[in-house]
Amino acid sequence: MAEAGDLMSRGALPSPVGTAIAIAHHGELIQGVFKDDDGSLHRGLVTLPIAGLRSEARFDRSDGDAVVVTPDHKVKAAAAARLTLDFLNVTGGGELTLQSAIPVGHGYGSSTADVVASIRAVAAAVDVQLRPSSIGRLAVAAERASDAIAFDDHAVLFAQREGKVIENFGGSLPPLLLVGFKANGGVPVDTLQLPPARYDSAEIQEFGVLRALVARAVRLQDPYLLGRAASASALISQRHLPKQGFNEIAEIARRGGACGVQVAHSGSLFGLIFDLFASNLKRRAALVAQQIRRAGFKDVEVHLVNAEGWSW
Amino acid sequence: MVTLDVDYFRDLETPRLARLAPNLVAAAFPLMKLMPARFILDRAASNGELKAGSHIVETTSGTFGMAVALLAAARDYRLTLVTASTLIDAKYKARLERIGATVIALDDPRGDGNQPGRLERLQEILANEPDGFWTRQYDSPGNWLAYARLAELFIRAMGKVDCLVGCVGTGGSLCGTASFLRTVFPHLTVFAVDTHRSILFGQPVGKRMLRGLGNSVLPKNVRHELVDEIHWVGAYPAYRTAHRLLREHGLFMGPTSGAAALVAHWVATTLPDAQVAVIMPDEGHRHAETVYNDEWLSALPGWPCKEPSEPRTLTTIAPAAETQWTRFLWLRRSLDDVLKTREASDVPPAVGAAENL
Ligand SMILES: Cc1ncc(COP(=O)(O)O)c(C=O)c1O
Repeated sequence: MAEAGDLMSRGALPSPVGTAIAIAHHGELIQGVFKDDDGSLHRGLVTLPIAGLRSEARFDRSDGDAVVVTPDHKVKAAAAARLTLDFLNVTGGGELTLQSAIPVGHGYGSSTADVVASIRAVAAAVDVQLRPSSIGRLAVAAERASDAIAFDDHAVLFAQREGKVIENFGGSLPPLLLVGFKANGGVPVDTLQLPPARYDSAEIQEFGVLRALVARAVRLQDPYLLGRAASASALISQRHLPKQGFNEIAEIARRGGACGVQVAHSGSLFGLIFDLFASNLKRRAALVAQQIRRAGFKDVEVHLVNAEGWSW
Repeated sequence: MVTLDVDYFRDLETPRLARLAPNLVAAAFPLMKLMPARFILDRAASNGELKAGSHIVETTSGTFGMAVALLAAARDYRLTLVTASTLIDAKYKARLERIGATVIALDDPRGDGNQPGRLERLQEILANEPDGFWTRQYDSPGNWLAYARLAELFIRAMGKVDCLVGCVGTGGSLCGTASFLRTVFPHLTVFAVDTHRSILFGQPVGKRMLRGLGNSVLPKNVRHELVDEIHWVGAYPAYRTAHRLLREHGLFMGPTSGAAALVAHWVATTLPDAQVAVIMPDEGHRHAETVYNDEWLSALPGWPCKEPSEPRTLTTIAPAAETQWTRFLWLRRSLDDVLKTREASDVPPAVGAAENL
């Protein structure tokens, strides 16, 4: 039994090392501007997580003040580690090592995954479990705009520049199969160089409708409604960051019986959303993948969302 | 501004949803017009058109006027409603004035609502008021944009919506809800509900008994291309259906809600596999001494009448008696397209009596 004093201090730690992971995403289901309860507007998004790609972080605490990161260009991850130490009132610094399989610049959220894994690793090194909301806030503080990957597969409408949840949908996304690929010849997009999209009133009103669809889709685990929301958000995104071949893809999705088309709103990713439990899914997805390749798109891959061991 | 006020009116503008049949959900509004009124005022306040203490003007004496009056009272705006003596009863005028609105009831020698005279007076007020603001429910995009909230409420409660039924007066509620629902459900079938002798869908202008829906001028917010079917419901079947809403569902709604419910029940029965949503704009209180008063009803010529169980389908647009219910396949055409197929002499005049929306 620990003494009361021990409970309150972080003096004697079991291990000065913490490891953690964070998953990638495939862009967003929806992204836009949303009203909160008092009517003010916030930029927000619902992330589409893919657990198959991840970043791993290891944090070795040290007495020195510095946080040293490897590879050394991952300065946002280092900043996140620093912010987390400060948030937890921990003195000293440490060595942060990142290992990531997530491609950079397409909308997979490689940067946020590094940042979130780093925050979690630092917390683990001081034996603390942070709430997703705190991780999300620290991530935004470290990188200015951040997706909702701190919440893993839990669906939230996240204000990516404020680090707060606008609406918690209260559950996970339904099980999906995603046929993902890259538009615009697979050329990466520099997210931070993009000016924030300016939406007109009709678009802002429509975002409320898309949010309602996601809420219903999560509550009743309905991939069809999720697909409707994603397609509508992708269409709005076309007016702000157009992707070549959008109409062709929408047509392939329609003919292939997909629930919808999804994009990375500040990246080059495209995805066709399928209900994981739809009949003939493997055959249909393979057919769609072939049509997408023939249409000239790059890197066609299959991702599973909340598949719980379902094997492709 | 006190945040609580905003919450109160947001709650008051929020309809209660009622399941009228396994595949039919009604949005029963206490006062639907609060939704566009609040949206238009909020937008004007945030873009600077509407300043603290501004003078709001509008040409209605109907439910939109009531909604703006409540908001103006809570938010300290002055409000002038310009109407015609033929369009407002003493009780409603007194109610609006008690809320703090100035109600100008112009003479109406021709009995057509004197809309030109009302617009002229409204312009005079605006010319003399640097801080004047005209809400323009007929033409302001704010009217239809506001109904994204209704589309949201339907979706959260029903998921996929296949059919939408609603009245048309300014067009804001039906066309707004329909256009937002259709962006996500392109297959949505839209049933517009109007009344005989309203010009909105190509009938010749004339005296109408059922008020609140229909029009004798054409607002910009009516977007004909969204409409698949138009139904014209006479006053009698609208009243009868309002009575049935109360007796069979415990819903105390106004007669335009009755008209919408009549059409919606028919749609839901005809298309049992479709999920149907219907908009019901206001409650019955204002009609307690008329539509819900047996004495008043029994003085109506031909009352009680047999209730039509289905509409009569027209191939040529024409008015019918107040006991009748007719329908026409509009098929998402423009008004011009539909009118082109008719005799030139049948084309209704562009302006006529002013409205009671
Ligand atoms: C009672 C009632 N029903 C229906 C309508 C028609 O609605 P809209 O103007 O949105 O077309 C109105 C409009 O004022 C109304 O007051």
